[in-house]
Amino acid sequence: MLLEPFRQPYLRRALLQVALLGILGGVVGVHIVLRRLAFLTEAVQHAAFPGVALAFATGTSLLGGALVGAGVAVALTLALAARRRVDEDAALAVIIATFVALGVLVVSRRAGYQADLTARLFGRLAFVTVGQVAQTAVLGAVCALALAAVHKELVLLAFDRHGARALGYPVAQLDAVLYAAVALAVVGAVQVVGAVLVLAFLVTPAATARLLTDRIGPMIVIAAGVGALGGWLGLVVATEASVHHDVRLAAGATVVLVLTVLFGLAGVMRGMVLLTRRRVAP
Amino acid sequence: MNPVALRLAFVHAAYDRDRHEVLQDVNGELAAGRSLALIGPNGAGKSTLLKAILGLVPVTSGSIEVLGTSPALARGDVAYVPQIDALDASFPVSALDVVLMGRYRRIGWLRRPGRADRAAARDALAEVGLADRAGERFGLLSGGQRQRVLLARALAQQARLLLLDEPFNGVDATSTDAILDVLARVRAAGAAVVLSTHDLSIAHLACDDACLLNRRQVAFGPVPVTLTTDRLRETYGERAVQLVAGSTIVQTD
Repeated sequence: MLLEPFRQPYLRRALLQVALLGILGGVVGVHIVLRRLAFLTEAVQHAAFPGVALAFATGTSLLGGALVGAGVAVALTLALAARRRVDEDAALAVIIATFVALGVLVVSRRAGYQADLTARLFGRLAFVTVGQVAQTAVLGAVCALALAAVHKELVLLAFDRHGARALGYPVAQLDAVLYAAVALAVVGAVQVVGAVLVLAFLVTPAATARLLTDRIGPMIVIAAGVGALGGWLGLVVATEASVHHDVRLAAGATVVLVLTVLFGLAGVMRGMVLLTRRRVAP
Repeated sequence: MNPVALRLAFVHAAYDRDRHEVLQDVNGELAAGRSLALIGPNGAGKSTLLKAILGLVPVTSGSIEVLGTSPALARGDVAYVPQIDALDASFPVSALDVVLMGRYRRIGWLRRPGRADRAAARDALAEVGLADRAGERFGLLSGGQRQRVLLARALAQQARLLLLDEPFNGVDATSTDAILDVLARVRAAGAAVVLSTHDLSIAHLACDDACLLNRRQVAFGPVPVTLTTDRLRETYGERAVQLVAGSTIVQTD
């Protein structure tokens, strides 16, 4: 049963896609968690929504639409963060609300296409093409290389921002690299889990890994593993339910719920380890 | 006479472009091998002055010369030790990881810390008496131990000027002694030290010179002649209380 997705070519593609995204989400997600950027990620995710809607309405590339939307959100966030007068949380909230409203406007203009658009917004893992898998692989490679190149600097920045500035690091440029990687990862994941569930895909594996280790290197490996594992198991559950039990489960949403279960298990494990440690300690 | 490590000439500083000056008319010199205490109430501009010396807060008039050059150009030779409260105790790094950060600029872009860097970081941890805690998570150490780890990071940087923001806040007696000890050795080796503090006894113990600040400079000079009752009263207002024995204490909130 666990190997079921390997039999059908379209499921093999879906599996490869979801595993690649799991790894990408894990790697980028570690930085999201370390920097506490979940809210920014949400802004980028919502910004992708009008981009996707507009691209769908005009029949242009969804990936392009999502990229433009996410890019605009990142640029706006960086610009607003540079001004101290605006509280960052408030700024992000305004950005999110604006982009959602834009997306709703676009969707409401094209009423007849809502069903299909819904699929786009919530992802359609089962219909993923070889081209999309290749896109994800390229996006993932670019993100992973960029983050690896400035890994130690990003960790320093997350830990001690003033210290990084005092050492003379170009803090704004490093932020831009990280934000761009987050935007690319969001855009990559949007195709699979849809614009609504991206956040869970990027944050949950890393948050799970954080529960299991106190070191950043292992955290990245575990997060990537958890992401890929969640993708595989989610796909198995969704396939099993629809093929053998005639219950149609959206694959993206199933993957997200499986990730949540893994997060819960990690939390229980952490709690048990802490309890035993307390009992052993004098 | 030792060379000048830090020269402050009629420094005015302000955050951003709104020109609201948080620091006025700071004027003085610190020689290499000596240490300077920045003393004043909360909001007096102590942290601002430290950041101005780092080149992170713009100087609106006057000038700051660090190790014979501008603050921005001197950064490689200046180590900054932040307040421990400013750092997230849940962050997943070990004590050794934190000390290694002091080597990052030396290591350069795109490269990972090598064996020599690890050895230098371990030596620095040993200097502050925490050789056996290298693998411990930073956030699980006590406040004083965390402060010593940050000091070790500055040592690993091999800087010629150390800037410490309230290094004795929330620090136990053992760690205070360890920090005082290290600072004495750093100065003996020829580096200069600037630290901000609320604690006048620390200033007497750890510093040669003092700068009394309350938005503007009240006094600057050798500790014994600078930390007088009159000047402390001028800095702190009515909270400076003269004791019978002739020493002065300051009530802080």
